[in-house]
Amino acid sequence: MRRAALATACLAGMVLGLEAADPSVWDGVYTAEQTRRGETAYLQTCASCHGTALEGGDMTPPLVGGAFTSNWNDLTVGDLFDRIRTTMPLDNPGRLSRTQTADVIAFVLKANNWPAGPTELPADSALKQIRIAAVKPPSQEQ
Amino acid sequence: MRRPSPRTALLLLVLTLLGSVIGTSGQSTPPSTRAGEWPHYTADLRGTKYSPLDQIDARNFNQLEVAWRFKTDSLGTRPEYKLEGTPLMVGGTLYTTGGTRRSVVALDAQSGELLWVHRYPEGARGAAAPRQLSGRGVAYWTDGRGDERILYVTPGYRLIALNAKTGVPLPSFGKGGVVDLKVGVVYGDGKPIDLEKGEIGLHSTPTVVKDTIIVGSSMKEGMTIETHNNTKGLVRAFDARTGKLQWTFNTIPRPGEPGNDTWLSGSWAVNGNTGVWTQITVDEELGLVYLPVESPSSDYYGGKRPGNNLYGESLVCVDLKTGQRKWHFQLVHHPIWDHDISSAPILLDVTIDGKPRKLVAQPSKQTFLYVFDRVTGEPVWPIVETPVPPGDVPGEWYAPTQPIPTRPMPYGRPGLKIPDEVIDFTPELRAQAMENLKHYKWGGNFPFSGTLYNPPIVGNVNGLLGAINLGNAAGGTNWPGAGADPETGIVYAQANLSAFTPESVAPPPAGFSDLPYQAGVVGQPFRLRVAAGTGTYADVRQSAAAETPAPAAAGAAQPAFNTVEGLSLVKPPYGVLSAIDLRSGELKWQVPHGDTPDVVRNHPKLKGLTIPKTGQGGSVGVLVTKTLVVAGDPLVTTTPQHPRGAMMRAYDKQTGQEVGAVWMPAPVSGSPMTYRVGGRQYIVIAVSGGNYSGEYIAFALPASAGQTSTRE
Repeated sequence: MRRAALATACLAGMVLGLEAADPSVWDGVYTAEQTRRGETAYLQTCASCHGTALEGGDMTPPLVGGAFTSNWNDLTVGDLFDRIRTTMPLDNPGRLSRTQTADVIAFVLKANNWPAGPTELPADSALKQIRIAAVKPPSQEQ
Repeated sequence: MRRPSPRTALLLLVLTLLGSVIGTSGQSTPPSTRAGEWPHYTADLRGTKYSPLDQIDARNFNQLEVAWRFKTDSLGTRPEYKLEGTPLMVGGTLYTTGGTRRSVVALDAQSGELLWVHRYPEGARGAAAPRQLSGRGVAYWTDGRGDERILYVTPGYRLIALNAKTGVPLPSFGKGGVVDLKVGVVYGDGKPIDLEKGEIGLHSTPTVVKDTIIVGSSMKEGMTIETHNNTKGLVRAFDARTGKLQWTFNTIPRPGEPGNDTWLSGSWAVNGNTGVWTQITVDEELGLVYLPVESPSSDYYGGKRPGNNLYGESLVCVDLKTGQRKWHFQLVHHPIWDHDISSAPILLDVTIDGKPRKLVAQPSKQTFLYVFDRVTGEPVWPIVETPVPPGDVPGEWYAPTQPIPTRPMPYGRPGLKIPDEVIDFTPELRAQAMENLKHYKWGGNFPFSGTLYNPPIVGNVNGLLGAINLGNAAGGTNWPGAGADPETGIVYAQANLSAFTPESVAPPPAGFSDLPYQAGVVGQPFRLRVAAGTGTYADVRQSAAAETPAPAAAGAAQPAFNTVEGLSLVKPPYGVLSAIDLRSGELKWQVPHGDTPDVVRNHPKLKGLTIPKTGQGGSVGVLVTKTLVVAGDPLVTTTPQHPRGAMMRAYDKQTGQEVGAVWMPAPVSGSPMTYRVGGRQYIVIAVSGGNYSGEYIAFALPASAGQTSTRE
C-alpha cells in the first residue's frame, strides 16, 4: 500500500516535472548564428533532394509547412535528429556530424517560423526533451 | 452392400495411399483466397486484392486489436523507414520481405513468431541497386506434392528460390538456388550490362502462374540521369522448378519487331528504361499476361527518342507460354510526364449491356480507369485520340494527340481546374494561391483545364518555374494499386488528388549527362532525384562526418510557391476512395479518405471555419473483403478522437460509408492483406515513416469474441 502510494507520488511528480520543464520548439531552442551554419550545410547536403526552399520534390518530402509540421507533430527534436543521423543523406547516411545535424535542424526550425533564442540547439540527448509542436501552446499565445 | 471386386479394392487402396501421401506432404489443391489464404501479392493472379472472408465486418471492425507485431529493424544493418511489403499467407505461414537487406522471413500466421529468416548479402552490387528498400514481398510456388518454394528478387537483381519450410535456397534451382537476372540484360543495341554495377533491379514481387515465374525490371529514378542510353527494360519468364529461362519480352522492340518504328531515327538503339516495375497480372485460363510498362528515359525530356516510343507507358498483353505480344494499348504517347503505369492491371468478368465481357481495367496516376476487352485489347468504351498542345523545349518531340477515356469518368483529378479547384477556405488564401500560381505555366484549352499533358517547360527562377501538372509523378493511383470485387465487377481505388507537380527541365551541370535537358530549373542548384531508399542498402558503408565541406551550392534558400501558408494550393478533397462499377462504367461512390491533416485543422488562418473532412494526399493500397474495403491513412494526425497516429479504416462496399477505424502508430506504407487461420481472421498491414521504422502489424478480433483457437 505504502509502495503504491509512493509510486503514485513519483509518477505525479514526473508528470508535473515534465509539464514544467518540457520545452518545445516555440521556446527559442536554437540561435540565429546556428541557422547560418545550418543553411550552408543544408544547401551542400540536403537541398539537392529537399529543395532550396525546403519545398520537397517528386520523391522527397518537404521540410517546411504543414506536411512537415504535421508529420513530426508531438515527436521530439531528438526523434528528427536520430532519423537524419540514421538515414540521411541518402547517398551517405551519417555524413553530417552530430553538430552539423543540429545546425541543419536549427535551419529547418527557422524555416518553419519557430523562434530563435539565446542558446544553441544541442547535439545530445537533451534534444529528446524538446517537443515539436505544430501549433503554439495556448499558454504562449499573445 | 456389394463387396468390391479385387481390382476395385486395389484401386481404392492406391487412391487411399495417394491421398494420404498428398495429405501429409503438402497441399493437394492450389492455395487460394477461398481457403482463407493470400497466395499472391494482389491476393490472386487477377490483381483484385479480394478475399471472401467475412468474420471482420462493419459491426466488429472497431473491436480489432493487435494480435502480433513484427519489427524489421534487425533485418539489415540499419532500420528501414519505408516498409512496403504485403505478406503472403499459405498453409498457416506468412512469408514476406523486410529490412535494408531485403531479407525474407517466414512467420507463424497465428502468433507472428519468426520461423526462419533468409539473407543474401550482395555487397557493392546491392549498394549500387537502383531500387533498394525491402521490396514488396515474395511469390509462392508448389507442385502440389510437398515441394513448396518462396521466390523473390534481391536488390541486386537475383531471383532466389527458397524452400518454404526452411528458408534454405534450393540447389536444383539456377545455381545453388539463384538465377542471376542481370545475365542477358542489355543496353544500347544489345551490349550486356555490367553484372555488378549494371543498372537494373526490381522491388515488386515475381508473379508465379502454374510452373512459370514472371519477373519485371526497374531502373534508376528517371528524372535526372547520366545517360538516356541506359539499361533496356524487359520481362522474362523462368521455369519454377529449374530456373531455366522460358521467354523474354523486350519492352523496347528490336529491329523487325512490331513497334520498333515508333522510335524514329533508330533511337531504339540509344535509349533505355521502359521497365515493368509494378505488379504483373495473369489470366491463367486464357494463358494471357498483362504487363504495365513504365516510362522511357528520361522522365521529363524525350528529345533523344523522337516518336511515340512503344511500349513506353503501354499496357501490353503477351502469351503466357511464349511471351509473344497479343495486343497493346499505349496510354500516353511519347511520354514526358512520368505517368508510368504504376499498378497492377485488374481482371474482371462483367456483364455489360447483357453481354458477358472479359475485362482488364488499368488504374492510373491520371485517375483514368482504362478498360479493355482483355482478349482483343479493344476499349470497352471509346478512348478518343485528342489533340494536345505542343511545348517549346528545344529538341523535344511532341505527340500531337493523347488518348482520353470517355468512360468511366476520372475517379480523381487528371488536371487542375483554375481557379475552380484552387484553395478557397478564405478569399485571402485564394488570392494568395492565385498569385503563387502565376509562377507556373497553366496550359491551354484542353479537357481538365489544360494541366493534363501540359508539357514541361524550361523553367527559370526569374520566370516561370514549371508547367502545372497534377498527379503525374506521385498522384492518382500509384504502386499500391486498386482492388476489386470479382463477384460484382466493382473496382475500388484510392487516389491522391493534391499532388501538385510543376514540371520543368533545365540543362544539367556540365559533364553530368548526355541529355541537354532534364528535370531542373535554370538558376536553381542542380538536384539529383534518386528513388526512395537509395543509399539505405545494408551494405552501403557509412563514412565519418565530412572533414572538409563540399563547395557551397549556388544561391541561398528561396521562397516556395507550391504551397500557400503551408497549405496545399489545391482545394480538398486531397485524397479519395472511389468505387467504379464496370457493369455501367459509372462512379458508384466516392469519399474523402484519411483524417483532415493537422495543418488544416490547426491552421491559425482557418480558425472558426467549418471544414468538411478533406482526406489526405499520398498513395495507399486497398483490401477488399466480402463486405468491406479497408485502407490505411497515408499521414499521421493528432485529433481529439485519437493520439498521434494513423487510422486503418473500413468502408461499406456498397455505400462508401466509413464503418470503423483502428489506430496505428505510424502511416500505412504497404498494402493490407487478410487471411484466416485457427478460425480467426487477421488483417496484416505494413507501417513506417517519420521516426517509426518498419513494422508489420496483425489485427484480429479478440479471441474472446466467440472465436475458436483450434489450429486448422
